[in-house]
Amino acid sequence: MAKPKQLSQPFNAKKEAKLVPGYLIVTLWILFTAVMLIWILAASFSTSKEIYQGSVFSFASGFHFENYVNAWQTQNVGLFFTNSLIYAITALLGIQLISCPAAYVLSRFKFMGNKVIKSAFIVGMSVPNIMIILPLFSLASQNQWTGSRLTLIILYICLNVPYTTTFLLNFFGTLPRTFEEAAAIDGCSPMKTFWVIMLPLVQPGIITVSIFNFLAVWNEYFMALIFAGSDELKNVGIGLFNMVSAMKSVGDLGGLFAAVIIVFMPTFLLYIFLSEKIIAGVTAGGVKG
Amino acid sequence: MKKSKSMIVVFLAPAVLSFLCIFAWPVLRTIYMSFFNVENITSDIDFNSFVGFGNYANLFSQPVFWKSMENIAKIWFFGGVITLAVSLLFAVILTSGVRGKSFFRAVIYLPNVISAVALATMWMQFVFNKRYGLFNAIVAAFGGKELNWLDSEMKFWSMLIAFIFGAVGYYMLIFLSGIERIPADLYEAATIDGENKVGQFFHITLPLLKGVFKTNITFWTINTVIFFLWSKMFSPVNSEMSTVTPVVYMFNIVFGGKGVTERSAGRGAAVGVVLALIVLLVFFLFNKLIKEEDVEF
Repeated sequence: MAKPKQLSQPFNAKKEAKLVPGYLIVTLWILFTAVMLIWILAASFSTSKEIYQGSVFSFASGFHFENYVNAWQTQNVGLFFTNSLIYAITALLGIQLISCPAAYVLSRFKFMGNKVIKSAFIVGMSVPNIMIILPLFSLASQNQWTGSRLTLIILYICLNVPYTTTFLLNFFGTLPRTFEEAAAIDGCSPMKTFWVIMLPLVQPGIITVSIFNFLAVWNEYFMALIFAGSDELKNVGIGLFNMVSAMKSVGDLGGLFAAVIIVFMPTFLLYIFLSEKIIAGVTAGGVKG
Repeated sequence: MKKSKSMIVVFLAPAVLSFLCIFAWPVLRTIYMSFFNVENITSDIDFNSFVGFGNYANLFSQPVFWKSMENIAKIWFFGGVITLAVSLLFAVILTSGVRGKSFFRAVIYLPNVISAVALATMWMQFVFNKRYGLFNAIVAAFGGKELNWLDSEMKFWSMLIAFIFGAVGYYMLIFLSGIERIPADLYEAATIDGENKVGQFFHITLPLLKGVFKTNITFWTINTVIFFLWSKMFSPVNSEMSTVTPVVYMFNIVFGGKGVTERSAGRGAAVGVVLALIVLLVFFLFNKLIKEEDVEF
């Protein structure tokens, strides 16, 4: 990928003048995003009356931290966070455990069916979820597997294996053969070579794809809606949906926006620290050019 | 490498098995199910309840289904044209040598990492609000009359605007990487030949982005066909006709919903099969339509 080189360029008035329309368009978009987020943050500290009057930035009656307390208490937010965290962490570990060995073998060894499996994974990535949920739900409910964390975790793992494996193919594929040859000469078994030598070398790829797995599972809605029967299993998405309806029905706008901020913050903070890695990862994996 | 055969099996088995369990078997089973009269999703498929294309005939006689297909077609077409146009525009701007490129890129992509429920709530409760909403403030600033963005007439388009806002960043990143792969000397040569920036865009950038367009259209199709959450957010109580999509319809007839009296899992499976066939058709058409010339650069 090309390194950004604009920074080192000296200021050139004529060149910059040509870019003005471009600056204007992206700045407007960014401004809109910023106003939206800042307003909602301000509203989350205001009373419903102030929000209704559209005066959220004056903080005439001070900062209302109780909005956050109210939002947190109407629904069991702590539980939703814990659930989403459990789903996301266990799923991403499970995904790597299945995908890394598969990606390694698929990218380094020639054997019958190699191509078929790779294409199957790509097809799997484009299968609409409605083509698979009915039999899965039917199977799960007949065996009393619904309403269990394990069911959701297994679903999240299996659903993300095709994408993750395909993503990691490129990373394993670019490693030089000499590593394995040297290891074989030293008497290192192929299995051990994978764990001790190859796996650490693709660490950047594993970290990037893990971030994506984490975000995907953390923000997941559809599967949780269908498979997390009881309240104790609901995740952040479902939780916020319920919080918003509860706050709307009692007319607590401050609490509503506080609920939005509570759910917005964790992934937002994660993004502030990892945005470069995430952005590089969007195009590094699956996408072919 | 003597032991590699057993290693291949051991390393691949979990991935292949998970694929068979969660993709291959359910897809086949859904197709199978769509030919049987299954009322309740949890009950077994009774072999005597074979109805052939009965579920499909029934499905095609439902006005709600056709309305949902119309909505998804509008989302796919209008949403697709606008999203791809805006994201291409941003990608071109960000590669034109503007300062602060990585900052702009990061902010535009931001909506993709936050919960769609949170994003949709922000739009519903703030941007589109009639009294204190951002859009009406902008309208008022230009001297316009305030609009009711969420009434039944406007709701669909408001939903689409909010959805597009969240989607643009992702497609922009894919266009960006496509443009960055085009060698700079092509543009230099064109500049020497006296071609202006607009001409360069149409004669160099666009033709060389054919493959990227195909990728983006494929992703857009996959992402819109399962359109569910935004529709549910914009009509949280009942599924309103103005925002109903095929997945919402399927969800209601399979799992029940407010005001939904009839249940039919078989017909729900038929919805899935119809959508999957449409996705396949779109892939096939665009593969024929956009012929990627093998350009070496």
